[in-house]
Amino acid sequence: MANAEPFADRATRMLRSAPLAAVLVLYTLYSALPFAWIATMSVRTTSEISANHYAWPTVWHWEKYRAAWFDSNFGTYFWNSTLVVVAAVAVVTVLGAAAAHCLARYRFRGNRLVYFILFSSIIFPPQIILISLFQVMAGYGLYNSRLGLTLVYIGLQLPLTVYLLEGFFARIPQDLFDAAKIDGYGDFEIFVRIVLPVGMPAIATTVILNFIQLWNEFLFAVVLVNDPGLSTLPIGIRRFMGDYFQDTGMIATGMMIAVLPVIVVYAFFSEKLIQGMTAGAVK
Amino acid sequence: MAVVRLDNLSKRYTGTADAAVDRVSFTVADGEFMVLLGPSGCGKSTTLRMIAGLEAISEGALWIDGRQVNTVPAKDRDIAMVFQSYALYPHMTVRDNLAFGLRRRDVAKAEIERRVALAASILGLEPLLERKPFALSGGQRQRVALGRAIVREPKVFLFDEPLSNLDAALRVATRNELVKLHRRLGVTMIYVTHDQVEAMTMGQRICVMNRGRVAQIGAPLEVYRNPADAFVARFLGSPPMNLFPATLRTDGGRALAAAGTHAIPLERWRTEALSPGREVLCGIRPEAFEIAGRTTAGTATVTGSLSAIEPLGAETLLLVDLGPGVGEVTARVRDDVDAPIGSTMALSFQPASVYLFDRTSELAIPAEGRA
Repeated sequence: MANAEPFADRATRMLRSAPLAAVLVLYTLYSALPFAWIATMSVRTTSEISANHYAWPTVWHWEKYRAAWFDSNFGTYFWNSTLVVVAAVAVVTVLGAAAAHCLARYRFRGNRLVYFILFSSIIFPPQIILISLFQVMAGYGLYNSRLGLTLVYIGLQLPLTVYLLEGFFARIPQDLFDAAKIDGYGDFEIFVRIVLPVGMPAIATTVILNFIQLWNEFLFAVVLVNDPGLSTLPIGIRRFMGDYFQDTGMIATGMMIAVLPVIVVYAFFSEKLIQGMTAGAVK
Repeated sequence: MAVVRLDNLSKRYTGTADAAVDRVSFTVADGEFMVLLGPSGCGKSTTLRMIAGLEAISEGALWIDGRQVNTVPAKDRDIAMVFQSYALYPHMTVRDNLAFGLRRRDVAKAEIERRVALAASILGLEPLLERKPFALSGGQRQRVALGRAIVREPKVFLFDEPLSNLDAALRVATRNELVKLHRRLGVTMIYVTHDQVEAMTMGQRICVMNRGRVAQIGAPLEVYRNPADAFVARFLGSPPMNLFPATLRTDGGRALAAAGTHAIPLERWRTEALSPGREVLCGIRPEAFEIAGRTTAGTATVTGSLSAIEPLGAETLLLVDLGPGVGEVTARVRDDVDAPIGSTMALSFQPASVYLFDRTSELAIPAEGRA
């Protein structure tokens, strides 16, 4: 072990990295503990939780999940959320990627103006359009419909998606496009066969961000949908809260049901698609 | 194989006063290896991109294999291009990178496999076919880029500084491989570079470009020995040619260039052909100098103060200050030099190695004999 690191050097290195490790541990606890707490509450009854907020479950009430799904209409809420969010994210991703590609790659009059308008819409809080949007939706017969909510979600997330993807796509080297052109591919084929695969890390990022954002979206869902049969999960969870009583145990169970798809989406996209997609494209 | 002819080709970008490429004309013969050489921004890459169909042509005509292709899309020009950045598709394996262009052209699967296998064997890519670009070294990536061009079996190969991202040793090796490849395929190749060594060693002819225009076209040694103007003289050669202002005069029937306190004898020009008093630039290549006293008779001599010594092993660069009006010149000598800095240094040279350029136009003043 001629090249073994001397003990003193190793100790110094570990001491130096200790503050960073401590910060990371604290942040991980800060993020994970509330989640773990909700997870324990999801299998405890509200009366057990009231008796001791932080206790470990003595009896694991898995039947609460069944009750939430069947008795409290969570199956419907889950279906509504899935339908609206998956459709919105799919449309936002395809439209956003196409728009970002155009803005990043093609020189045309008004390119930067369009980009600036999109960027501006990110700055303003969405609440300021709530009343006018409500009137528009009602006027077009889209109030209290999943299609209406999907369209609103698309409009909400599209600017940020275009903004994020445009930044990434603009960094894809022009040589790749030129090479594909010489190889005989047209603009649309280049978008599908080159831009989308090469831009997959950025696209996966926007899919995760948009999915989480819309899956948890409450404000527009509560204002634009009134029918319980069309409500999404965040509204469903809200139904466990009354004026005089809130069913904390069922809220926790509902939250666990709601958070599961987010974890699945995150795990799938972050693990499978981001790894080394662009390394080695160009020097 | 094909002849490529550029006829007054120009490129103007909107919003810019000067043309990026200004009335460039030359013809690349069938199977010829032509190098476009010049400094950054001289228009050589833009010219190549116009030939490729990646830049629209503002004026002039471009002919490939007897067909005017000004408005023909890149994909239909039957050309292949190797880029400086390799431009490999990062999400595809080496095999898919090679086959990508052929699939689009509906080449039969068996034929694609044959061509990929052939290119892979020529370039030694067989063990790498299932790898993705990120798992390749710089040299391997460059070979894949080359392979992608080879499988297409195009009429014309275009290279845009393909060796710039390689380290020095690999660059030399790849340079030789490219020359061999050209001999093997016998295809028309147009190669852009700013590296004069690449141009001199690879090109059958070189086209030196400056400020969007062709400065000179010719065989590498021809251009080196007879530069058309001071720009070409400076650009070709390392270190560059020493150029200093001088005034022509005659002395006892002999033509001289008076530069500072020095009188440079001019043997290659007839005295009556040179007007006394004409302002010129006098040029002497560093390798034309030798340390005085170590060579045969018949040489001219200039004396100055030694400013710096740069030993390179096989040769030594000397910077010698020849005083006001001339300034510092560089001499490349084969001897080891251990003279102290600041000491007097006499440099000898053959008068036949002197070049003259007009001071205003910087065009070469033609001599009767060759340098």
